[in-house]
Amino acid sequence: MELSDANLQTLTEYLKKTLDPDPAIRRPAEKFLESVEGSQNYPLLLLTLLEKSQENVIKVCASVTFKNYIKRNWRIVEDEPNKICESDRIAIKANIVPLMLSSPEQIQKQLSDAISIIGREDFPQKWPDLLTEMVNRFQSGDFHVINGVLRTAHSLFKRYRHEFKSNELWTEIKLVLDAFALPLTNLFKATIELCSTHANDASALKVLFSSLILIAKLFYSLNFQDLPEFFEDNMETWMTNFHSLLTLDNKLLQTDDEEEAGLLELLKSQICDNAALYAQKYDEEFQPYLPRFVTAIWNLLVTTGQEVKYDLLVSNAIQFLASVCERPHYKHLFEDQNTLTSICEKVIVPNMEFRAADEEAFEDNSEEYIRRDLEGSDIDTRRRAACDLVRGLCKFFEGPVTGIFSGYVNSMLQEYAKNPSVNWKHKDAAIYLVTSLASKAQTQKHGITQANELVNLTEFFVNHIQPDLKSASVNEFPVLKADGIKYIMIFRNQVPKEQLLVSIPLLINHLQAESIVVHTYAAHALERLFTMRGTNNTTLITAAEMAPFVEVLLTNLFKALTLPGSSENEYIMKAIMRSFSLLQESIIPYIPSVITQLTQKLLAVSKNPSKPHFNHYMFESICLSIRITCKANPDAVGSFEEALFLVFTEILQNDVQEFIPYVFQVMSLLLEMHKNEIPSSYMALFPHLLQPVLWERTGNIPPLVRLLQAYLERGANTIASAAADKIPGLLGVFQKLIASKANDHQGFYLLNSIIEHMPPESVDQYRKQIFILLFQRLQNSKTTKFIKSFLVFINLYCIKYGALALQEIFDSIQPKMFGMVLEKIIIPEIQKVSGQVEKKICAVGITKILTECPPMMDTEYTKLWTPLLQALIGLFELPEDDTIPDEEHFIDIEDTPGYQTAFSQLAFAGKKEHDPVGQMVNNPRIHLAQSLHKLSTACPGRVPSMLSTSLNAEALQYLQGYLQAASVTLL
Amino acid sequence: MPVVSKHSERLRKFKNKGKDAAALRRQRVEVNIELRKAKKDEQILKRRSISFSLMDESLSLGEEKRNEVIQLSLEEIVEAVNGSNTELQLQATQATRRMLSRQKDPPINQILELGIIPRLVEFLTHADNAPLQFEAAWALTNIASGTSDHTKAVVEGGAIPAFISLLSSQHMHISEQSVWALGNIAGDGPLYRDALINCNVIPPLLALVSPVTPVGFLRNITWTLSNLCRNKNPYPPLDAVKKVLPVLICLMEHEDKDIISDSCWAVSYLTDGSNDRIQIVVDTGILPRLVELMASPELIIMTPALRAIGNVVTGTDEQTQAAIDAGVLAVLPCLLRHAKPTVQKEAAWTLSNIAAGPCQQIQQLITSGLLPPLVELLDKGDFKAQKEAVWAVANFTTGGTVEQVVELVQSGVLKPLLNLLLAKDSKTILVILDTISNLFLAAEKLGETERLCLLVEELGGLEKIEALQTHDNNMVYRAALSIIEKYFSGEENPDLQPGTGQDGLYDFSVEKQDFNF
Repeated sequence: MELSDANLQTLTEYLKKTLDPDPAIRRPAEKFLESVEGSQNYPLLLLTLLEKSQENVIKVCASVTFKNYIKRNWRIVEDEPNKICESDRIAIKANIVPLMLSSPEQIQKQLSDAISIIGREDFPQKWPDLLTEMVNRFQSGDFHVINGVLRTAHSLFKRYRHEFKSNELWTEIKLVLDAFALPLTNLFKATIELCSTHANDASALKVLFSSLILIAKLFYSLNFQDLPEFFEDNMETWMTNFHSLLTLDNKLLQTDDEEEAGLLELLKSQICDNAALYAQKYDEEFQPYLPRFVTAIWNLLVTTGQEVKYDLLVSNAIQFLASVCERPHYKHLFEDQNTLTSICEKVIVPNMEFRAADEEAFEDNSEEYIRRDLEGSDIDTRRRAACDLVRGLCKFFEGPVTGIFSGYVNSMLQEYAKNPSVNWKHKDAAIYLVTSLASKAQTQKHGITQANELVNLTEFFVNHIQPDLKSASVNEFPVLKADGIKYIMIFRNQVPKEQLLVSIPLLINHLQAESIVVHTYAAHALERLFTMRGTNNTTLITAAEMAPFVEVLLTNLFKALTLPGSSENEYIMKAIMRSFSLLQESIIPYIPSVITQLTQKLLAVSKNPSKPHFNHYMFESICLSIRITCKANPDAVGSFEEALFLVFTEILQNDVQEFIPYVFQVMSLLLEMHKNEIPSSYMALFPHLLQPVLWERTGNIPPLVRLLQAYLERGANTIASAAADKIPGLLGVFQKLIASKANDHQGFYLLNSIIEHMPPESVDQYRKQIFILLFQRLQNSKTTKFIKSFLVFINLYCIKYGALALQEIFDSIQPKMFGMVLEKIIIPEIQKVSGQVEKKICAVGITKILTECPPMMDTEYTKLWTPLLQALIGLFELPEDDTIPDEEHFIDIEDTPGYQTAFSQLAFAGKKEHDPVGQMVNNPRIHLAQSLHKLSTACPGRVPSMLSTSLNAEALQYLQGYLQAASVTLL
Repeated sequence: MPVVSKHSERLRKFKNKGKDAAALRRQRVEVNIELRKAKKDEQILKRRSISFSLMDESLSLGEEKRNEVIQLSLEEIVEAVNGSNTELQLQATQATRRMLSRQKDPPINQILELGIIPRLVEFLTHADNAPLQFEAAWALTNIASGTSDHTKAVVEGGAIPAFISLLSSQHMHISEQSVWALGNIAGDGPLYRDALINCNVIPPLLALVSPVTPVGFLRNITWTLSNLCRNKNPYPPLDAVKKVLPVLICLMEHEDKDIISDSCWAVSYLTDGSNDRIQIVVDTGILPRLVELMASPELIIMTPALRAIGNVVTGTDEQTQAAIDAGVLAVLPCLLRHAKPTVQKEAAWTLSNIAAGPCQQIQQLITSGLLPPLVELLDKGDFKAQKEAVWAVANFTTGGTVEQVVELVQSGVLKPLLNLLLAKDSKTILVILDTISNLFLAAEKLGETERLCLLVEELGGLEKIEALQTHDNNMVYRAALSIIEKYFSGEENPDLQPGTGQDGLYDFSVEKQDFNF
């Protein structure tokens, strides 16, 4: 493309079209631009347009297009063609800086981004004059230009804040420092002087303060990796000025906006960061300045208002104090009682107050409020910063700080008592203060785990928390109710059990509160209390203690789900699940009503499942209802099926993907509850379960395999007789699973169940094919996981059909196959098998091969006999071999075509571990000894001679131990 | 679920693999690029001999005592130096030396520009005029004390052979001045150091060391010897090292603290290298003395001794064991608690390399009571020292047995370690995250994963790790994410399984092929 007017004109038209809302016009234009972007001069045409076009919209569009073009094409990837020709690269680098600086702000930002993308690749080697070019502009005196340079420099240098130290990086930084540090310092000084000259000119001040913010940010980047010599030598200049800027105020810079931080706040906030950086990393050098900064920052905190716009500044500033006060050599800065009192009074207490913004969130955005307050996503809030400062101060001054705050707590409580309806916020602050003072360590699971011993938590609970919760109206002062409930929740391990028991009916009562936060907290608190452990690994609160409250608890929990805003409240659903699990058979009388309500809920949410946690706990609750009821009365399974199958059918028919894995699990649970032959209702469903469409979804595979296993366990005979034509389809599923490295173990689960439960004659005709398939996988893509499952399977087969059958079927596939599998797979890999049941299956299977397979004694396979025995003894005695070949580290996630619906396993639908050899063999070592004994009786002399020729001494010793333990000898 | 455990097993292997390289012993990282000011506690490379009027008097050996100090212009100096009047030559050389010896801003560049250096070098050979030799030697010493260009001018003027032959001068003060000048030349870098060694500087230099050598003189010799041992790329030639080392060992037993200090510095340079270099020092049996000196209350002795031992433990397990046998573990606690941050840092670095050893050495580290000071340092130390302490913990958790790791956790390492996740240094954060993974691996083996999870959460670690998931450094955020996913992803473990399905048809059929595993 030439740099011609005609081309500029064409490009202008296409750019205009890319802004068209109609995709039919926009898309082809975008396509066209993409098709020409490889041509020489294309970027230069864009640069010309963004500079000279008559229309502003084209200028902006050209600048955005240019930036995206640079983003896509500038980097030269090894082994790929260079996408921008060299002359264009040179021309771009020669022109872009002046162009950026002379452009209006909107375009300047795009070009500045482009420069930093180019800089990331080319700076400094391939763009040596960039720095000088930028630094020279500092002299221009034009702050529009200067800010452009600073912004660009910031985007070039900010990576110094997170990259690892390396020679390459430090060479670059050194180069930057040499060229940039002095001019930046001079600019800093000059800008500060200009600020006082223009102290009365609002618009000038705004520009100058934008510069100062950028300069402060650059300072942070340039000082991040290490303390540069230049900045150490000029620390006085920088720190003195930073310090005075912290204390500076100018009415002209104050903003009316309550939410958005103004320039002054942003600058001070960055200065706090800079001071914190020095305090943390360069303490030795910074020590002389630190006390001044502590005082300045603390004064800043005292004089800064409650508005949201100051939040970042305030939390940054408090965090600075918090980090300094923990350091032993700065202890003295805080030691004085007056200082401590003043920090507590003027910094901590005001920042703990419940503000209008909090109140708004409490009422109108409860979900967010709960997330912040309960789940600790409050890292940047003032309250949180104040809490951290309390903890920091307590490190050295726990006594005095507790003392000071006790006074405050008392006076705030008195204020509240005078006029609760007006002064309730004082009590909120008092509770918050007690909480932050008392909690030293906390987890979601256990609440507070370490408390300040100077605070009497139980006393406060009895005197100030319980009365609120006992009040007649659950809807009065909702914030205080929430505070009180939260107090129980987090101090549940500190408050004595009898107090918790007193609280339980109060909490149950508050499930009825209208406030979402209050009834959610009540549900959550109950759930947490029910999960507390007592002695002997039982729950702290027992079902017996809960007996008087069962009905009201269940009623209120389900009623809470009908309160506005809580129809899919996961905390409530989780509390339901936990209550069932705790109360066990005492819920049975309520099951009919409960299951009706749950199925109704299920039906309702299945229309549009949106709360995964809620759904999960709902299915868990259903499982619990089934287990608890059927444990007491197995026949009840029918009524559950009656209640649930209708909804389940609807879910399956409407293909509600999120719920299908759950449905299969519940069905598995139900089917396993049946003691007799499989009901016909299940058999009717069987063919549908083999449908490929179900198996294409990853999330379905584990629960479906589980369900098919349940079918095989309960209905193998029925399948063989009534659905024999479905056996190939069933094996097809197995084949499908075995083909995948990720799902092959599921295929083996299925295959193992088929071999274990199906009548032998029903699968006779398929057996050879099954093995061919497995051998194929073994040959083409064996993995450790596959081999482990394979080993378990062939040994299970051997147990079920006999060792001779195993040898015969192998050798019928290919001569000498049995020997090859023994030699290449079983003997070298058996050590990798993991899991107790799995190991036992292998031990019994191999014992059979050793002792019940004549060809092992009288063919060329005989040479494998001792090595196989040796491997078996190794399986018994050696640690598991968990090495994995190198290349296997890299399979899994990379090879998968993308995540699909995750499988969510239900804890309460859990399958018991199944040991197919359980009855037959108790101790596999003894079993080996007995079997060897039997073998040696059959052919006297052979066994001892095989042992003595090649079994190693250690293995022999172990074997003798087994023989002794079994009290047998070898003949 | 088998797949999940399988997966984590794999990941574990992979991570361990990666870690072996990362947690190896770390040599003193000589970053060629320094952003910082030159370190204040390094030994001085070059020194200028400053004249104090008193010393000047006493050293000027009578002759010019009667003369008032003569002021000469630069032009006059050039003329006199190049002239043939020996009296004037002496006066001019002395004037030059005076200018170069004044305390502030010696005019080295101006003198250099006069072009009189070759002439001054020539004066060194005037064996019949000792005062002139001495003044020239002094002047040249001070020129050589400047920048590399200054030293270069002196060397190129032919000073090396001249000074070496003056080592054997019968006038002790001339010999001493020559030692000093040679020290400055050696201190310039490996090139001139080796030029001196090739000119056979070592035998005459070592010959000056005797029981009767005055302390001041001996200090100079020791310092020059240390400069002959200094610098890498390349290291000083092996045979030179072998010649110098026995003398250094003797000097280390001297009672003068400067002599001890400089001989320790020399040994610290010799140990700052590959394992075979370290071995030469270990073989001398000097380690016990070095360890003893590490405990010296004199900072100038303790610093280089600590450094030398620190270098030794970057070596092989056997070399490290030699340092342990010499008692280094008994001295370290005190140094880890030293008031000076750089000492803390060096001590922690040393400890980190011992912790990189086999578990027997880690055990000795525990038995010697190093864990409490390590934890203290991690908690309250200077940042530079904290970084090294983090490495020590990381290495410990990589090489230690499960029991040792448990002991580490019980000594309270977790809290300060987790606090340091707020450090403003990506590498440190990454090393901590790796350490946390190591701790979890140990916890898994003990079936204590859940307890460790709670502990990490309790100590405020969880929210810090969570926050790191948005860190700008890719490796940091991935490490954080992996910990969260593996250990903190909640009660419902999503079993993420990949999908399959090219064939789609589930008909059960297969073609037989030949198998050979």
